[in-house]
Amino acid sequence: MIKSEEYDVLVIGGGISGAEASINLANQGFKVLIVEKDLSVGGKMIHLSKVFPTLDCSACITTPKISQTARHPNITIYTYSQVNDIEKKSEHNFQAIVTRYPRYVKEEDCTGCQICEEKCPVVVNDQYQYDLVGRKAVYVPFSIANPRVAAIDIENCSFCGACEKACPSEAIDFSQEKIDIQINVKSVVIATGFRLFDPLLIPRYGFGKYKNVITAMQMERQLVPTRPFNHVLRPKDGKMPDKIAYVLCAGSRDETIGNPICSQVCCMYSVKQAQLLMGALPLADITIYYLNIRSFGKGFNEFYQQAKDMGVNFIKGKIGKITETDNGNLLLRYEDIIEGVVKEAKHDLVVLSVGILANQGISSMFKDTLELDPFNYIKQSDELANPAKTTIRGVYVAGTASGPMDIPDSILSAGAASAEIAGYLRLRR
Amino acid sequence: MGKTIDIIKQKRKVSESVKQNIKDFNAMKKKILATMEIEHKSIPQIAEELQLPLDVVTYHLMTLQKFGFIEVSELDDMDEYYFYNLKK
Repeated sequence: MIKSEEYDVLVIGGGISGAEASINLANQGFKVLIVEKDLSVGGKMIHLSKVFPTLDCSACITTPKISQTARHPNITIYTYSQVNDIEKKSEHNFQAIVTRYPRYVKEEDCTGCQICEEKCPVVVNDQYQYDLVGRKAVYVPFSIANPRVAAIDIENCSFCGACEKACPSEAIDFSQEKIDIQINVKSVVIATGFRLFDPLLIPRYGFGKYKNVITAMQMERQLVPTRPFNHVLRPKDGKMPDKIAYVLCAGSRDETIGNPICSQVCCMYSVKQAQLLMGALPLADITIYYLNIRSFGKGFNEFYQQAKDMGVNFIKGKIGKITETDNGNLLLRYEDIIEGVVKEAKHDLVVLSVGILANQGISSMFKDTLELDPFNYIKQSDELANPAKTTIRGVYVAGTASGPMDIPDSILSAGAASAEIAGYLRLRR
Repeated sequence: MGKTIDIIKQKRKVSESVKQNIKDFNAMKKKILATMEIEHKSIPQIAEELQLPLDVVTYHLMTLQKFGFIEVSELDDMDEYYFYNLKK
Protein backbone atom coordinates (compact mmCIF):
# COMPACT_ATOMS: atom_id res chain seq x y z
CA MET A 1 0.00 0.00 0.00
CA ILE A 2 1.25 3.46 -0.91
CA LYS A 3 2.43 5.59 2.03
CA SER A 4 0.64 8.90 2.55
CA GLU A 5 1.98 12.15 4.07
CA GLU A 6 0.50 15.58 4.74
CA TYR A 7 2.08 19.02 4.57
CA ASP A 8 0.88 22.59 4.17
CA VAL A 9 3.10 23.39 1.19
CA LEU A 10 4.90 21.35 -1.44
CA VAL A 11 7.97 23.17 -2.78
CA ILE A 12 9.27 21.69 -6.03
CA GLY A 13 12.98 22.46 -6.28
CA GLY A 14 15.59 22.93 -3.57
CA GLY A 15 17.65 25.73 -5.07
CA ILE A 16 18.01 29.18 -3.59
CA SER A 17 14.42 30.19 -4.45
CA GLY A 18 12.93 26.99 -3.06
CA ALA A 19 14.99 27.32 0.11
CA GLU A 20 14.05 30.98 0.61
CA ALA A 21 10.32 30.34 0.11
CA SER A 22 10.46 27.29 2.40
CA ILE A 23 12.21 29.08 5.26
CA ASN A 24 9.77 32.01 5.06
CA LEU A 25 6.79 29.67 5.21
CA ALA A 26 8.27 27.34 7.83
CA ASN A 27 9.03 30.33 10.09
CA GLN A 28 5.31 31.16 9.98
CA GLY A 29 4.47 27.70 11.24
CA PHE A 30 3.58 26.01 7.96
CA LYS A 31 4.78 22.46 7.35
CA VAL A 32 6.82 22.38 4.15
CA LEU A 33 8.03 19.53 1.96
CA ILE A 34 10.86 20.29 -0.47
CA VAL A 35 11.26 17.83 -3.33
CA GLU A 36 14.61 18.09 -5.11
CA LYS A 37 15.47 15.99 -8.16
CA ASP A 38 19.22 16.21 -7.58
CA LEU A 39 21.26 14.41 -4.90
CA SER A 40 21.78 17.66 -3.00
CA VAL A 41 19.84 20.83 -2.39
CA GLY A 42 21.44 24.17 -3.25
CA GLY A 43 20.61 24.31 -6.96
CA LYS A 44 23.04 26.03 -9.30
CA MET A 45 24.03 28.74 -6.84
CA ILE A 46 25.92 26.34 -4.57
CA HIS A 47 28.30 25.62 -7.49
CA LEU A 48 29.18 29.24 -8.22
CA SER A 49 32.39 31.01 -7.19
CA LYS A 50 31.26 34.53 -6.31
CA VAL A 51 28.14 36.60 -6.86
CA PHE A 52 27.97 39.87 -8.78
CA PRO A 53 28.36 42.78 -8.25
CA THR A 54 29.52 42.40 -4.63
CA LEU A 55 31.94 39.51 -5.27
CA ASP A 56 30.72 37.80 -2.10
CA CYS A 57 31.42 34.08 -1.88
CA SER A 58 28.43 32.27 -3.35
CA ALA A 59 28.80 29.10 -1.29
CA CYS A 60 29.13 31.22 1.88
CA ILE A 61 25.67 32.65 1.19
CA THR A 62 24.07 29.42 0.01
CA THR A 63 25.31 26.94 2.59
CA PRO A 64 23.94 28.67 5.74
CA LYS A 65 20.56 29.05 4.05
CA ILE A 66 20.58 25.44 2.89
CA SER A 67 21.71 24.31 6.31
CA GLN A 68 18.91 26.31 7.94
CA THR A 69 16.46 24.66 5.55
CA ALA A 70 17.75 21.19 6.35
CA ARG A 71 17.62 21.72 10.14
CA HIS A 72 14.27 23.52 10.31
CA PRO A 73 11.72 21.50 12.31
CA ASN A 74 8.92 22.48 9.89
CA ILE A 75 10.79 21.49 6.73
CA THR A 76 11.17 17.99 5.29
CA ILE A 77 13.51 17.51 2.32
CA TYR A 78 13.39 14.66 -0.16
CA THR A 79 16.42 14.72 -2.44
CA TYR A 80 16.82 12.53 -5.54
CA SER A 81 13.04 12.57 -5.84
CA GLN A 82 10.47 13.69 -8.35
CA VAL A 83 6.90 14.93 -8.19
CA ASN A 84 4.22 13.66 -10.52
CA ASP A 85 0.46 13.65 -10.94
CA ILE A 86 -0.26 16.83 -8.98
CA GLU A 87 -4.01 17.14 -8.87
CA LYS A 88 -6.14 19.87 -7.38
CA LYS A 89 -8.97 18.03 -5.65
CA SER A 90 -10.55 21.19 -4.27
CA GLU A 91 -9.47 24.56 -2.91
CA HIS A 92 -6.54 24.08 -0.48
CA ASN A 93 -6.44 20.40 -1.34
CA PHE A 94 -3.77 19.10 -3.71
CA GLN A 95 -2.68 15.51 -4.09
CA ALA A 96 0.61 14.43 -5.65
CA ILE A 97 2.87 11.42 -5.99
CA VAL A 98 6.50 11.84 -4.97
CA THR A 99 8.88 9.19 -6.24
CA ARG A 100 12.01 8.74 -4.14
CA TYR A 101 14.75 7.11 -6.17
CA PRO A 102 17.22 4.81 -4.42
CA ARG A 103 20.67 6.18 -3.56
CA TYR A 104 21.67 2.64 -2.48
CA VAL A 105 23.08 4.34 0.60
CA LYS A 106 21.21 4.73 3.87
CA GLU A 107 21.07 8.50 4.39
CA GLU A 108 20.74 8.19 8.14
CA ASP A 109 23.84 5.98 8.44
CA CYS A 110 26.27 7.54 5.92
CA THR A 111 28.84 9.83 7.51
CA GLY A 112 30.21 11.15 4.21
CA CYS A 113 33.66 9.75 5.01
CA GLN A 114 34.27 8.83 1.34
CA ILE A 115 36.08 5.57 2.16
CA CYS A 116 33.73 3.91 -0.34
CA GLU A 117 35.01 6.28 -3.05
CA GLU A 118 38.59 5.17 -2.42
CA LYS A 119 37.63 1.54 -2.95
CA CYS A 120 35.41 2.00 -6.02
CA PRO A 121 37.18 0.96 -9.26
CA VAL A 122 34.87 2.83 -11.66
CA VAL A 123 35.65 6.33 -12.95
CA VAL A 124 33.11 8.31 -14.97
CA ASN A 125 32.69 12.02 -15.77
CA ASP A 126 31.94 14.19 -12.75
CA GLN A 127 28.76 16.09 -13.66
CA TYR A 128 29.26 18.44 -10.70
CA GLN A 129 32.60 19.54 -12.20
CA TYR A 130 30.94 19.81 -15.62
CA ASP A 131 32.90 16.82 -16.98
CA LEU A 132 36.33 18.40 -16.51
CA VAL A 133 37.46 15.50 -14.28
CA GLY A 134 36.21 12.08 -13.24
CA ARG A 135 34.37 10.77 -10.21
CA LYS A 136 33.73 7.32 -8.81
CA ALA A 137 30.54 5.31 -9.32
CA VAL A 138 29.91 5.66 -5.57
CA TYR A 139 30.36 9.27 -4.66
CA VAL A 140 29.54 12.19 -2.41
CA PRO A 141 28.22 14.66 -5.02
CA PHE A 142 30.44 17.55 -3.90
CA SER A 143 32.15 18.66 -0.72
CA ILE A 144 29.41 21.05 0.47
CA ALA A 145 26.50 18.87 -0.66
CA ASN A 146 23.49 18.75 1.62
CA PRO A 147 22.86 16.05 2.64
CA ARG A 148 26.56 15.16 2.57
CA VAL A 149 25.75 11.57 1.84
CA ALA A 150 27.13 9.21 -0.79
CA ALA A 151 25.08 7.79 -3.64
CA ILE A 152 25.70 4.96 -6.08
CA ASP A 153 25.45 5.63 -9.81
CA ILE A 154 23.87 2.27 -10.45
CA GLU A 155 24.11 2.50 -14.27
CA ASN A 156 27.90 2.70 -13.96
CA CYS A 157 28.35 0.36 -11.00
CA SER A 158 30.50 -2.73 -11.47
CA PHE A 159 28.73 -4.53 -8.59
CA CYS A 160 32.08 -5.50 -7.10
CA GLY A 161 30.80 -4.88 -3.59
CA ALA A 162 34.01 -3.12 -2.50
CA CYS A 163 32.09 -0.11 -1.18
CA GLU A 164 29.81 -2.26 0.93
CA LYS A 165 32.78 -4.16 2.33
CA ALA A 166 34.66 -0.95 3.16
CA CYS A 167 31.85 1.15 4.62
CA PRO A 168 32.55 1.51 8.36
CA SER A 169 28.95 2.44 9.17
CA GLU A 170 27.33 -0.26 6.99
CA ALA A 171 25.42 2.40 5.07
CA ILE A 172 25.55 0.78 1.63
CA ASP A 173 22.27 -0.90 0.80
CA PHE A 174 21.82 -2.37 -2.67
CA SER A 175 18.38 -3.67 -1.70
CA GLN A 176 16.86 -0.18 -1.90
CA GLU A 177 14.11 0.36 -4.45
CA LYS A 178 12.20 3.42 -5.58
CA ILE A 179 9.35 4.39 -3.32
CA ASP A 180 6.16 6.25 -4.25
CA ILE A 181 4.60 8.43 -1.58
CA GLN A 182 1.21 10.10 -1.82
CA ILE A 183 1.42 13.70 -0.67
CA ASN A 184 -1.53 15.80 0.43
CA VAL A 185 -0.84 19.53 0.55
CA LYS A 186 -2.73 22.80 0.62
CA SER A 187 -0.53 24.69 -1.80
CA VAL A 188 2.33 24.17 -4.27
CA VAL A 189 5.40 26.28 -5.11
CA ILE A 190 7.23 25.75 -8.38
CA ALA A 191 10.87 26.66 -7.82
CA THR A 192 12.39 24.46 -10.48
CA GLY A 193 14.97 26.96 -11.71
CA PHE A 194 16.45 26.90 -15.18
CA ARG A 195 18.67 24.84 -17.44
CA LEU A 196 21.77 26.04 -19.23
CA PHE A 197 21.86 26.35 -22.99
CA ASP A 198 23.71 23.47 -24.65
CA PRO A 199 26.40 25.08 -26.86
CA LEU A 200 26.62 21.92 -28.99
CA LEU A 201 23.58 23.40 -30.71
CA ILE A 202 25.81 26.09 -32.24
CA PRO A 203 28.48 23.98 -34.02
CA ARG A 204 30.31 27.05 -35.40
CA TYR A 205 31.53 27.82 -31.86
CA GLY A 206 33.40 24.51 -31.82
CA PHE A 207 32.30 23.45 -28.35
CA GLY A 208 32.84 19.71 -27.92
CA LYS A 209 35.21 19.70 -30.89
CA TYR A 210 37.87 22.04 -29.52
CA LYS A 211 38.71 21.30 -25.89
CA ASN A 212 39.77 24.88 -25.19
CA VAL A 213 36.27 26.16 -25.91
CA ILE A 214 34.49 25.86 -22.59
CA THR A 215 31.25 27.09 -21.04
CA ALA A 216 31.07 29.81 -18.41
CA MET A 217 29.90 27.19 -15.91
CA GLN A 218 33.10 25.20 -16.54
CA MET A 219 35.06 28.41 -15.92
CA GLU A 220 32.97 29.04 -12.80
CA ARG A 221 34.11 25.66 -11.46
CA GLN A 222 37.71 26.53 -12.23
CA LEU A 223 37.34 29.66 -10.09
CA VAL A 224 36.00 27.99 -6.93
CA PRO A 225 38.23 26.63 -4.14
CA THR A 226 37.00 23.09 -4.88
CA ARG A 227 38.11 23.44 -8.48
CA PRO A 228 38.67 20.45 -10.77
CA PHE A 229 42.24 21.49 -11.65
CA ASN A 230 45.01 22.87 -9.44
CA HIS A 231 44.71 26.30 -11.09
CA VAL A 232 42.81 27.95 -13.95
CA LEU A 233 44.08 25.77 -16.81
CA ARG A 234 43.18 24.87 -20.37
CA PRO A 235 41.34 21.52 -20.50
CA LYS A 236 43.23 20.53 -23.64
CA ASP A 237 46.78 20.60 -22.30
CA GLY A 238 46.84 22.00 -18.77
CA LYS A 239 48.47 25.25 -19.89
CA MET A 240 47.81 28.44 -17.93
CA PRO A 241 45.84 30.58 -20.39
CA ASP A 242 47.01 34.11 -21.06
CA LYS A 243 44.64 35.36 -23.75
CA ILE A 244 41.07 34.54 -22.84
CA ALA A 245 37.96 35.46 -24.85
CA TYR A 246 34.37 35.58 -23.65
CA VAL A 247 31.59 35.15 -26.19
CA LEU A 248 28.41 36.74 -24.89
CA CYS A 249 24.86 35.86 -25.93
CA ALA A 250 25.85 32.24 -26.66
CA GLY A 251 22.35 30.78 -26.82
CA SER A 252 20.48 33.96 -25.93
CA ARG A 253 18.89 36.66 -28.11
CA ASP A 254 19.12 34.29 -31.03
CA GLU A 255 16.01 33.36 -33.01
CA THR A 256 17.93 30.71 -34.95
CA ILE A 257 18.31 28.50 -31.89
CA GLY A 258 14.83 29.25 -30.56
CA ASN A 259 15.73 31.57 -27.69
CA PRO A 260 15.13 35.17 -28.72
CA ILE A 261 15.20 36.63 -25.19
CA CYS A 262 18.02 37.97 -23.04
CA SER A 263 19.18 35.66 -20.25
CA GLN A 264 19.72 38.66 -17.94
CA VAL A 265 22.78 37.28 -16.15
CA CYS A 266 25.40 36.46 -18.81
CA CYS A 267 26.85 39.99 -19.18
CA MET A 268 27.37 40.37 -15.47
CA TYR A 269 28.63 36.85 -14.72
CA SER A 270 31.14 37.28 -17.56
CA VAL A 271 32.27 40.63 -16.15
CA LYS A 272 32.54 38.96 -12.74
CA GLN A 273 34.60 36.06 -14.08
CA ALA A 274 36.84 38.47 -15.98
CA GLN A 275 37.58 40.31 -12.74
CA LEU A 276 38.23 37.06 -10.87
CA LEU A 277 40.50 35.85 -13.66
CA MET A 278 42.53 39.02 -13.45
CA GLY A 279 43.17 38.07 -9.84
CA ALA A 280 43.97 34.43 -10.62
CA LEU A 281 46.01 35.16 -13.76
CA PRO A 282 47.42 38.68 -13.34
CA LEU A 283 49.26 38.63 -16.66
CA ALA A 284 46.33 37.39 -18.74
CA ASP A 285 44.55 39.49 -21.38
CA ILE A 286 40.81 39.14 -21.22
CA THR A 287 38.49 40.20 -24.04
CA ILE A 288 34.73 40.19 -23.88
CA TYR A 289 32.91 40.08 -27.24
CA TYR A 290 29.43 41.49 -26.74
CA LEU A 291 26.36 42.69 -28.61
CA ASN A 292 25.13 45.01 -25.86
CA ILE A 293 26.25 45.12 -22.24
CA ARG A 294 23.12 44.95 -20.13
CA SER A 295 24.15 46.30 -16.75
CA PHE A 296 20.68 47.14 -15.50
CA GLY A 297 20.77 46.26 -11.80
CA LYS A 298 21.95 48.07 -8.70
CA GLY A 299 25.71 48.54 -8.88
CA PHE A 300 25.95 46.67 -12.20
CA ASN A 301 27.16 49.58 -14.31
CA GLU A 302 29.82 50.46 -11.72
CA PHE A 303 30.86 46.80 -11.77
CA TYR A 304 31.19 46.92 -15.56
CA GLN A 305 33.20 50.15 -15.37
CA GLN A 306 35.40 48.55 -12.72
CA ALA A 307 36.20 45.67 -15.11
CA LYS A 308 37.12 48.19 -17.81
CA ASP A 309 39.35 50.05 -15.37
CA MET A 310 41.04 46.78 -14.43
CA GLY A 311 41.97 46.31 -18.10
CA VAL A 312 39.31 43.97 -19.43
CA ASN A 313 38.98 44.60 -23.17
CA PHE A 314 35.40 44.98 -24.46
CA ILE A 315 34.74 44.54 -28.19
CA LYS A 316 31.28 45.08 -29.63
CA GLY A 317 31.41 42.18 -32.01
CA LYS A 318 29.43 39.20 -33.23
CA ILE A 319 31.37 35.95 -33.44
CA GLY A 320 30.98 34.17 -36.77
CA LYS A 321 33.17 31.14 -36.31
CA ILE A 322 35.78 29.68 -33.98
CA THR A 323 38.51 27.44 -35.39
CA GLU A 324 41.48 25.75 -33.76
CA THR A 325 44.95 26.72 -34.91
CA ASP A 326 48.36 25.74 -33.54
CA ASN A 327 48.86 24.31 -30.03
CA GLY A 328 45.16 24.35 -29.23
CA ASN A 329 44.89 28.11 -29.72
CA LEU A 330 41.70 29.43 -31.22
CA LEU A 331 41.00 31.85 -34.03
CA LEU A 332 37.86 33.96 -33.60
CA ARG A 333 36.36 35.41 -36.75
CA TYR A 334 34.02 38.24 -35.82
CA GLU A 335 32.21 41.27 -37.09
CA ASP A 336 33.45 44.43 -35.41
CA ILE A 337 30.09 46.17 -35.08
CA ILE A 338 31.55 49.65 -34.42
CA GLU A 339 33.88 49.60 -37.44
CA GLY A 340 31.61 47.45 -39.59
CA VAL A 341 34.37 45.11 -40.71
CA VAL A 342 35.14 41.43 -40.29
CA LYS A 343 38.22 40.76 -38.18
CA GLU A 344 40.09 37.83 -36.72
CA ALA A 345 41.69 37.47 -33.30
CA LYS A 346 43.72 34.70 -31.68
CA HIS A 347 43.00 33.52 -28.15
CA ASP A 348 44.20 30.54 -26.17
CA LEU A 349 40.96 29.87 -24.30
CA VAL A 350 37.38 30.74 -25.25
CA VAL A 351 34.56 30.88 -22.72
CA LEU A 352 31.01 30.71 -24.04
CA SER A 353 28.68 32.79 -21.87
CA VAL A 354 25.79 30.39 -22.28
CA GLY A 355 22.27 31.55 -21.73
CA ILE A 356 19.56 30.15 -19.52
CA LEU A 357 16.44 28.35 -20.66
CA ALA A 358 13.20 27.19 -19.12
CA ASN A 359 13.23 23.75 -17.55
CA GLN A 360 11.07 21.33 -19.45
CA GLY A 361 8.39 19.00 -18.20
CA ILE A 362 7.09 21.15 -15.35
CA SER A 363 3.55 21.55 -16.68
CA SER A 364 3.29 17.79 -17.27
CA MET A 365 3.66 17.24 -13.51
CA PHE A 366 0.15 18.70 -13.17
CA LYS A 367 -3.10 17.02 -14.11
CA ASP A 368 -4.72 20.46 -14.42
CA THR A 369 -3.53 22.86 -17.12
CA LEU A 370 -0.58 24.89 -15.95
CA GLU A 371 -0.03 27.51 -18.60
CA LEU A 372 3.42 28.48 -19.87
CA ASP A 373 4.53 31.76 -21.42
CA PRO A 374 5.81 31.89 -25.05
CA PHE A 375 9.31 30.97 -23.86
CA ASN A 376 8.15 27.94 -21.85
CA TYR A 377 8.56 29.56 -18.44
CA ILE A 378 5.67 29.28 -15.97
CA LYS A 379 3.07 31.89 -16.91
CA GLN A 380 2.45 34.52 -14.24
CA SER A 381 -1.29 35.14 -14.38
CA ASP A 382 -1.05 38.56 -12.69
CA GLU A 383 2.56 39.62 -13.22
CA LEU A 384 2.39 43.10 -11.73
CA ALA A 385 0.08 42.74 -8.73
CA ASN A 386 0.66 39.08 -7.80
CA PRO A 387 3.85 37.95 -9.55
CA ALA A 388 3.89 34.50 -7.96
CA LYS A 389 0.39 33.51 -9.09
CA THR A 390 0.11 30.90 -11.84
CA THR A 391 -2.89 29.86 -13.84
CA ILE A 392 -3.85 27.31 -11.16
CA ARG A 393 -5.14 28.90 -7.95
CA GLY A 394 -3.03 27.67 -5.06
CA VAL A 395 0.02 26.98 -7.25
CA TYR A 396 2.74 29.63 -7.10
CA VAL A 397 6.02 30.21 -8.90
CA ALA A 398 9.33 31.41 -7.44
CA GLY A 399 12.64 32.37 -9.02
CA THR A 400 13.82 31.53 -12.52
CA ALA A 401 11.00 29.07 -13.14
CA SER A 402 9.05 32.21 -14.14
CA GLY A 403 11.79 33.71 -16.35
CA PRO A 404 15.47 34.63 -16.43
CA MET A 405 16.63 36.61 -13.40
CA ASP A 406 19.67 36.99 -11.16
CA ILE A 407 20.11 35.72 -7.60
CA PRO A 408 18.80 38.77 -5.68
CA ASP A 409 15.72 38.88 -7.92
CA SER A 410 15.21 35.13 -7.42
CA ILE A 411 15.29 35.60 -3.66
CA LEU A 412 12.87 38.53 -3.92
CA SER A 413 10.61 36.44 -6.13
CA ALA A 414 10.69 33.62 -3.57
CA GLY A 415 9.81 36.15 -0.84
CA ALA A 416 6.84 37.34 -2.89
CA ALA A 417 5.74 33.74 -3.47
CA SER A 418 5.91 32.88 0.23
CA ALA A 419 3.91 36.00 1.15
CA GLU A 420 1.23 35.16 -1.41
CA ILE A 421 1.06 31.54 -0.25
CA ALA A 422 0.79 32.57 3.40
CA GLY A 423 -2.14 34.80 2.43
CA TYR A 424 -3.74 31.98 0.46
CA LEU A 425 -3.31 29.48 3.30
CA ARG A 426 -4.67 31.92 5.90
CA LEU A 427 -7.90 32.22 3.91
CA ARG A 428 -8.58 28.69 5.11
CA ARG A 429 -7.57 29.08 8.76
CA MET B 1 23.00 -7.64 8.15
CA GLY B 2 24.30 -9.69 5.23
CA LYS B 3 25.87 -8.26 2.11
CA THR B 4 23.27 -6.61 -0.11
CA ILE B 5 25.47 -6.69 -3.22
CA ASP B 6 24.13 -10.19 -3.99
CA ILE B 7 20.59 -8.78 -4.19
CA ILE B 8 21.45 -6.31 -6.94
CA LYS B 9 23.61 -8.85 -8.77
CA GLN B 10 20.52 -11.01 -9.21
CA LYS B 11 18.64 -8.10 -10.78
CA ARG B 12 21.28 -6.39 -12.92
CA LYS B 13 24.26 -7.32 -15.01
CA VAL B 14 27.42 -5.23 -15.34
CA SER B 15 27.46 -3.56 -18.72
CA GLU B 16 30.32 -4.16 -21.15
CA SER B 17 31.01 -0.43 -21.27
CA VAL B 18 31.53 -0.33 -17.49
CA LYS B 19 33.97 -3.26 -17.70
CA GLN B 20 35.86 -1.58 -20.54
CA ASN B 21 35.87 1.72 -18.70
CA ILE B 22 37.55 0.14 -15.65
CA LYS B 23 40.19 -1.51 -17.85
CA ASP B 24 40.89 1.72 -19.74
CA PHE B 25 41.17 3.88 -16.64
CA ASN B 26 43.44 1.42 -14.84
CA ALA B 27 45.70 1.14 -17.88
CA MET B 28 45.90 4.90 -18.19
CA LYS B 29 46.54 5.31 -14.47
CA LYS B 30 49.41 2.81 -14.57
CA LYS B 31 50.99 4.50 -17.61
CA ILE B 32 50.70 8.05 -16.27
CA LEU B 33 51.99 7.21 -12.79
CA ALA B 34 54.92 5.29 -14.31
CA THR B 35 56.09 8.38 -16.22
CA MET B 36 56.52 10.25 -12.95
CA GLU B 37 58.46 7.61 -11.04
CA ILE B 38 61.84 9.24 -11.56
CA GLU B 39 61.05 12.93 -11.84
CA HIS B 40 58.15 15.34 -12.03
CA LYS B 41 56.52 15.83 -15.43
CA SER B 42 54.27 18.33 -17.19
CA ILE B 43 51.23 17.30 -19.20
CA PRO B 44 52.89 17.84 -22.63
CA GLN B 45 55.90 15.77 -21.47
CA ILE B 46 53.66 12.90 -20.38
CA ALA B 47 51.60 13.09 -23.58
CA GLU B 48 54.75 12.98 -25.70
CA GLU B 49 56.26 10.12 -23.74
CA LEU B 50 53.10 8.04 -23.93
CA GLN B 51 52.08 9.20 -27.42
CA LEU B 52 48.63 10.09 -26.15
CA PRO B 53 46.39 13.08 -26.96
CA LEU B 54 46.98 16.03 -24.62
CA ASP B 55 43.35 16.30 -23.52
CA VAL B 56 43.24 12.61 -22.58
CA VAL B 57 46.34 13.03 -20.39
CA THR B 58 44.96 16.24 -18.84
CA TYR B 59 41.65 14.58 -17.92
CA HIS B 60 43.24 11.50 -16.40
CA LEU B 61 46.02 13.37 -14.63
CA MET B 62 43.59 15.82 -13.04
CA THR B 63 41.37 12.92 -12.00
CA LEU B 64 44.37 11.16 -10.43
CA GLN B 65 45.22 14.39 -8.65
CA LYS B 66 41.66 14.58 -7.31
CA PHE B 67 41.92 11.00 -6.05
CA GLY B 68 45.18 11.80 -4.27
CA PHE B 69 47.72 9.92 -6.41
CA ILE B 70 49.47 13.00 -7.74
CA GLU B 71 50.47 16.37 -6.36
CA VAL B 72 51.39 19.64 -8.01
CA SER B 73 55.06 20.46 -8.11
CA GLU B 74 56.13 23.77 -9.68
CA LEU B 75 55.61 25.90 -12.77
CA ASP B 76 57.98 25.61 -15.72
CA ASP B 77 60.39 28.42 -16.63
CA MET B 78 57.90 29.93 -19.10
CA ASP B 79 55.12 30.05 -16.47
CA GLU B 80 52.95 27.96 -18.77
CA TYR B 81 52.77 24.40 -17.52
CA TYR B 82 52.79 22.91 -14.05
CA PHE B 83 54.89 19.89 -13.20
CA TYR B 84 53.25 17.05 -11.32
CA ASN B 85 54.78 14.30 -9.23
CA LEU B 86 53.68 11.20 -7.39
CA LYS B 87 52.25 11.82 -3.96
CA LYS B 88 54.62 10.52 -1.31
